[in-house]
Amino acid sequence: MAEQKQSKRDPALREPKKPGVCIPWEEKVKELKEISADKELVRKVWEDIDALGYVYIWQCLLSF
Amino acid sequence: MAKDMEQLYTERLKRYVTAMRNEKPDKIPIRPFVAEFTAKYAGYTCQQVTHDYEKAFAAARKCAADFDWDAIVPNMVYVWTGLTQAIGTKYYAVPGIDVPPDTGFQYLEPPEEKAFMKPDEYDQLINDPTGFLFNVWLPRISADVSAMGEPTSYRNNLSFLKGGMAMLNYFNAFGTQIELMRTESGTVSAISGILKAPFDIIADKLRGYLGLVSDVLERPDKVLAACEALIPHLTHVALSGADPDKNVPIGFWMHRGCVPFFSKEHFEKFYWPTLKPIIEEIWANGHQVLFYAEGDWNAHLKAFAELPDGSIVYHVDMGDIFEVHKVIGDKFCISGGIPNYLLSVGKPDEVRDYCKKIIDGVAGDGGYIMDASAIVQNDAKVENIKAMTDFTREYGVY
Repeated sequence: MAEQKQSKRDPALREPKKPGVCIPWEEKVKELKEISADKELVRKVWEDIDALGYVYIWQCLLSF
Repeated sequence: MAKDMEQLYTERLKRYVTAMRNEKPDKIPIRPFVAEFTAKYAGYTCQQVTHDYEKAFAAARKCAADFDWDAIVPNMVYVWTGLTQAIGTKYYAVPGIDVPPDTGFQYLEPPEEKAFMKPDEYDQLINDPTGFLFNVWLPRISADVSAMGEPTSYRNNLSFLKGGMAMLNYFNAFGTQIELMRTESGTVSAISGILKAPFDIIADKLRGYLGLVSDVLERPDKVLAACEALIPHLTHVALSGADPDKNVPIGFWMHRGCVPFFSKEHFEKFYWPTLKPIIEEIWANGHQVLFYAEGDWNAHLKAFAELPDGSIVYHVDMGDIFEVHKVIGDKFCISGGIPNYLLSVGKPDEVRDYCKKIIDGVAGDGGYIMDASAIVQNDAKVENIKAMTDFTREYGVY
């Protein structure tokens, strides 16, 4: 089952990064130990803060 | 909020939105894009409003309180040079440092050989636009950010920390500014969010205009692929800053993608096919886009007419506004058309006459918003701005 999930994630990692993303959660989660309890919380907070980095660079390009 | 101010705000919002939907409101809305003019009127220098955004906000609010305008941009002197200095941005001439304190800030484009993106770097941009901006572009446009592989530095680390916190500080302050405009003077915030065309942004910030001129001839496939790679990102940024109430449009700043900077064939090959899907996607999400057509884009009106009815508001700068009205006036609201030179060197009677000519020619069925041609800087005379405002209020009643 774990291998099946892994095989679904890998092709996505070879695609261009999506808008709003600097470091994809799928990449970050590989660095972490097994997350107990609320995995969704950890993912959401990572992505929300990662998106601020995206805002920074694209606003530098477009607005400043 | 005082009840009368809330009522005024509601009336103005309805007037502004009705016109933008290309319908007939009670009066012609007035929405001047006042930039450094606000400093002149409020008694500040360009240096003060560019480097201290609280002064810029205060100047905008003073104008909003004293002139009967329906909507303004909360700070049209948008580039806060305190922020760009914290980042170490190289491409600005800052009032009081690089240019005189009462001259507006300037963009500096490097010579072609020193462009922020090299001609052989298209593939890096295409494969990972965000990574390219962080890893290649930012170190080149900042005096403080270290390039990849170079030793880091105190200045490098501070650039990200100070730049990030300052940007958050600045963006958050807009919420307060917009609320104060509403409660103090019943003034609507004119736009929300930002868009630039993929082709324009490559010229503006990456290859430079001259670099892109070479590239469309020498490596056209790379240029097109780069524009296509930017589409999802520019769409995402535009939508993430859009008005959640879907009242006011996303500001779209049009630069050098038009004739005669590029040929009509280049516009049709690069600019339009990679802009049109962005506008269509934004419209599918329920937002209008304000085409701020700086310069003269009349050579491309038939392309813009391909867009869905009501999907854009078209602002006229140097283009023939009567031709604009003839070609796309049945589909889109039009704004602007009062020449900046007239506001600068003309007399109030001449301004009134010109406003009458524009109103008579393009505003008869609604779908028109009064504004200058380009952003109003500190060369405009106060009495001329007052003439534009007062005449429109008196004459522009349906």
